[in-house]
Amino acid sequence: MPMPKRLTAAMMAVAILLSSPAMGQGKQKMENMPSTANQPDHQQSAQHHQDTPPPDLDVPPLPEGMTLDEVFNYAESDPPASFPDPVVDDQWFGFVRFDQFEYRVTDDDVPDHLGWEADVWFGGDINKFWWKTEGEVIFDGPDEGESENDFLYSRLFTPFWSIQTGVQYANEWTPDDYGDRWSYVLGLQGLAPYQFELDNSLYVSEDGDLTVEVEGEYDLRIAQRLVLQPRVGLGFAAQDVPERNLGSGMTSGDLDMRLRYEVKREFAPYIGVRYQFLLGETEDIAAAAGDKTEQWMVLAGLRFAF
Amino acid sequence: MTDQCRFIGSRLITRRRFLVTTGSSALAGYLLLNRPAWAADVDVARAGNFGQLDATAEEGIDLYLENQDLLVGGRIGRAITINGSIPGPVIRMTEGRDALIRVHNRLHEATSIHWHGILLPFDMDGVPGISFAGIPAGETFTYRFPVRQNGTYWYHSHSGFQEQRGHYGQLIIEPAQTDPVDYDVEYTVVLSDWTFEDPHSVFRNLKTIEGYYNFQRPTLANIDDQMRATGMSLGEVIDKRLAWQGMRMDPTDIADVTGATYTFLMNGKAADENPIFLAQPGQKVRLRIVNASAQTFYDVRIPGLPMTMVQADGQNIKPVETDEFRIAVAETYDVVVTLPDDQAYTLFAETMDRSGYARGTLAPRDGMAAAIPERRRRPMLTMADMGMMMNGGMQGMEGMSRGEHESMQMPKDRQAEGGLPTENLISRVKHGPDGHGPASITMAQTAYRRLDYPGAGLGDDGWRVLTYSQLRARERPPLRRPPTREFYLHLTGNMHQFIWGFDGKKWSESDMIRFQYGERLRINMINDTMMSHPIHLHGMWMDLYAGGNLDTNPRKHTVNVQPAELLTVDITADAPGQWAFHCHLLYHMEAGMFRTVAVVRSLQGGSIDADA
Repeated sequence: MPMPKRLTAAMMAVAILLSSPAMGQGKQKMENMPSTANQPDHQQSAQHHQDTPPPDLDVPPLPEGMTLDEVFNYAESDPPASFPDPVVDDQWFGFVRFDQFEYRVTDDDVPDHLGWEADVWFGGDINKFWWKTEGEVIFDGPDEGESENDFLYSRLFTPFWSIQTGVQYANEWTPDDYGDRWSYVLGLQGLAPYQFELDNSLYVSEDGDLTVEVEGEYDLRIAQRLVLQPRVGLGFAAQDVPERNLGSGMTSGDLDMRLRYEVKREFAPYIGVRYQFLLGETEDIAAAAGDKTEQWMVLAGLRFAF
Repeated sequence: MTDQCRFIGSRLITRRRFLVTTGSSALAGYLLLNRPAWAADVDVARAGNFGQLDATAEEGIDLYLENQDLLVGGRIGRAITINGSIPGPVIRMTEGRDALIRVHNRLHEATSIHWHGILLPFDMDGVPGISFAGIPAGETFTYRFPVRQNGTYWYHSHSGFQEQRGHYGQLIIEPAQTDPVDYDVEYTVVLSDWTFEDPHSVFRNLKTIEGYYNFQRPTLANIDDQMRATGMSLGEVIDKRLAWQGMRMDPTDIADVTGATYTFLMNGKAADENPIFLAQPGQKVRLRIVNASAQTFYDVRIPGLPMTMVQADGQNIKPVETDEFRIAVAETYDVVVTLPDDQAYTLFAETMDRSGYARGTLAPRDGMAAAIPERRRRPMLTMADMGMMMNGGMQGMEGMSRGEHESMQMPKDRQAEGGLPTENLISRVKHGPDGHGPASITMAQTAYRRLDYPGAGLGDDGWRVLTYSQLRARERPPLRRPPTREFYLHLTGNMHQFIWGFDGKKWSESDMIRFQYGERLRINMINDTMMSHPIHLHGMWMDLYAGGNLDTNPRKHTVNVQPAELLTVDITADAPGQWAFHCHLLYHMEAGMFRTVAVVRSLQGGSIDADA
């Protein structure tokens, strides 16, 4: 039970440390430190500032109608406003990827689900806007479902890691009930050593409840287009949240395994399995209510991007 | 459009000129008779039918740029043609005369032509945003400049991704004096890469999905193959792979864009179209080879025929015989070969990542072909590419340690009276504490000289492979003196996000690099990335430190910097104005691996920001 607290505290600390402007400044300053990076004093200490070129240098042909002085004045100034940029290296891109878009076959006594998990991002190399959405709905049965939508500002702050912050809108519905909540989100997403893709998010709900979700996945390439992807998702709560049937501590998890075939990089049908389970006090709460505490699912879906 | 190409051969028939053809006119006729059935009812011209123009002729020349459907490797693609073809016409010039070229832009977008490797006034250099505003759609721009050099060069668009769509061609400048290279017949060999995709979507794919075009990654299925190729045990292979995974790097990340989308072209022809270069046994054949690719490095060889390298980047070098050479994007090499018998020989240009090849045939008669060599295994990067000098790195180190001092320290400010040393330069340098921020994955903690290293995937075949350490200027080039100023420039990138730059910054995040007019400047380039980058400076020569001295180091317009390499060039800043300086991999350049260089009267007072 103390574990989630330690974890969330650590995440907070890391996030605060990394997002502080001082840290960013430090990085900037480092660029000018004497190292193999450029040393400005090279120029100041150059003893060979000549106003006239050395004798073996003939003035080369100049642009028609320009004197050498005019060329130097030109060289010193920014290009005319009418000039385009020589390279457009600050373009924004938009990208949509459904990691999961799948049919989930459950045990006989539970209706099958349609599930999805998708990322949408828009932005440049460092700064992006992300919309992460995931959820599921009952396929052939009552109109029930749930979804979570994180709207995040994301900043690449190290080569492998982005810090993300924003809000989450989560909702769930049944034929006669609709519930939703807003939460503040702080996320850390990136690539860990050994090529594990991690997506960790800390949520503080409008009621002040603190929860954490940790997701990790790994692509095991069997062949160039055939990929086995194990995935782990774990949930934690820092306190009991009775209205969401959460007990403090580790609350739930799912273990997935998907085998996809990349017809194209952005079009890969797959099959898989999921084992979903509740843990700790959350499991007890569900058991007491007579609900299922674990479930196997068979998955078939499409991973796609555009 | 082809009627606008005038063949100049008829006006000035010398023995040499008489034998000159672009290699494609004979082939064109051949192919017209041999169109595949499915293409027969399509009235589309084939790529590779280019002519030849003399730009230093009195009346000058006209180039017409158009969007046009062309058959590329038998499939219809939307190309940008110059006078109706890709590549564009071979443009000939004569040293000492004035070039006059009218470029008519019939595209629906602005365009430009950059004369790659040519010394000229900056406003003729053809880089939109630096030299001029570009050539708007529908307009004509006149290039006029005195020709002050000779050799084999090329030209291409400097606007967006137009180069990827065929906007390039060869440029040959005849020397004013006698050519020291002896040959009987010469051919243009333009290597390039072609995709039927829109290059903008190629760029987007690279930006959004890592390894999009790499279908040669380590997989469970090829463990066996790796064991056989390397002689390692299963455990060793797994260890090695885990080590790479631990570093979050892919040792097969050799090329960003591969044969998965590219058709590899020689003179606009795909390998199965077999462009032919005719020569009789005993004739000395000069091949003027330019790599006009957007992204592709080629390893060139003619199985069975040794090649004598006579020119690099248009500059005569001391002839050196080899069996294979790697040509980085934008480099040119001239080689002379002699057909020993009445046989056909394959001119084989395999891509560095082995995902494909371009090919032609050197033969005494049309219709001949020789065997196409078996393709080699795709190489994998080694720890040496991260500056860890074991395995493959050792040979490079041994080569260097002869007589060169090694410094594991940061070089001090080395502004000695009389300039910096020009021989036996430090052989390695430790990376400073600056990781260059999120835009750089700095793998190599030590950068070192790799002049003797032929490159990933080369050198183990039992034949000779050219390295930079073999390049020596044929004669001492003018303006050589010890540099008086130096700076370090890191080539940086984040392969996961496809961010590329210098010192962790893109063009849009940086200021101009300032050179002082007349100064002799040294740039020590350090490649922090795991990819090779061909770095090109416009307007001025880079004197490559190839292990020689002021008399012998070759002049280059494009230098290939290998992973973890420390590579030094000296520059005489003799061209006032503003110039481009960039990685010549098109998608790296467009991602921001680019700087504006300003050659100014004085560095004093201005911002001193070589790295910015």
